[in-house]
Amino acid sequence: MYCTTTAAQRRYRVRTLFATTAYLLAIWGVTWMFRHRHPQGAAVYLLALAPELPIFAILAIFGIYLAEETDEFIRAVLVQSSLWATGVVLALTTFWSLLQSYAPAIDLVVKVPMYWVFVLWCVSFALAQLFVQRRYK
Amino acid sequence: MKNRLRVLRAERNWSQADLAEHLEVSRQSVNAIETGKFDPSLPLAFRLARLFDMTIEQIFVDDGSG
Repeated sequence: MYCTTTAAQRRYRVRTLFATTAYLLAIWGVTWMFRHRHPQGAAVYLLALAPELPIFAILAIFGIYLAEETDEFIRAVLVQSSLWATGVVLALTTFWSLLQSYAPAIDLVVKVPMYWVFVLWCVSFALAQLFVQRRYK
Repeated sequence: MKNRLRVLRAERNWSQADLAEHLEVSRQSVNAIETGKFDPSLPLAFRLARLFDMTIEQIFVDDGSG
């Protein structure tokens, strides 16, 4: 039976696993540094940038995967899903930002750190794939 | 786009997975094309035509929806 996992998918998963591991290690390392070493000056910026590099890598890996994937249907599902995820993130973050602007008046909005935006995109992307795939069944 | 893939598959006693293997695509791709929910690219349509030894027009029906 033909395996439905393509070679490009397998490469994508391995690469993403490495990049995600690097991201978690960077987050752990940077948090440890700020708690125990209290960096100052330029080191603050460099350390804050460290977890960003694996995020760039994850996005680049996704782009490489889209270029390498030879199954056009899978590619179409992924592109549509990423557009849905981007739309959800833009809509939610804009809505949340507007709420925060009016928070002094309505006093109900919890401040959410911006680094959750990427996590929100990843979760939205995963859910969007389920939604998009259902449309083709 | 409507097509005759299900009939052509049945004539050869192929499952969707068999056709997917011949085309080197996923079974989901075959299912989406077969049910008319996903239109294949021109290169994939030509691959289908070569596989069944037919023309593209003999496999796909232009219903004017594209």
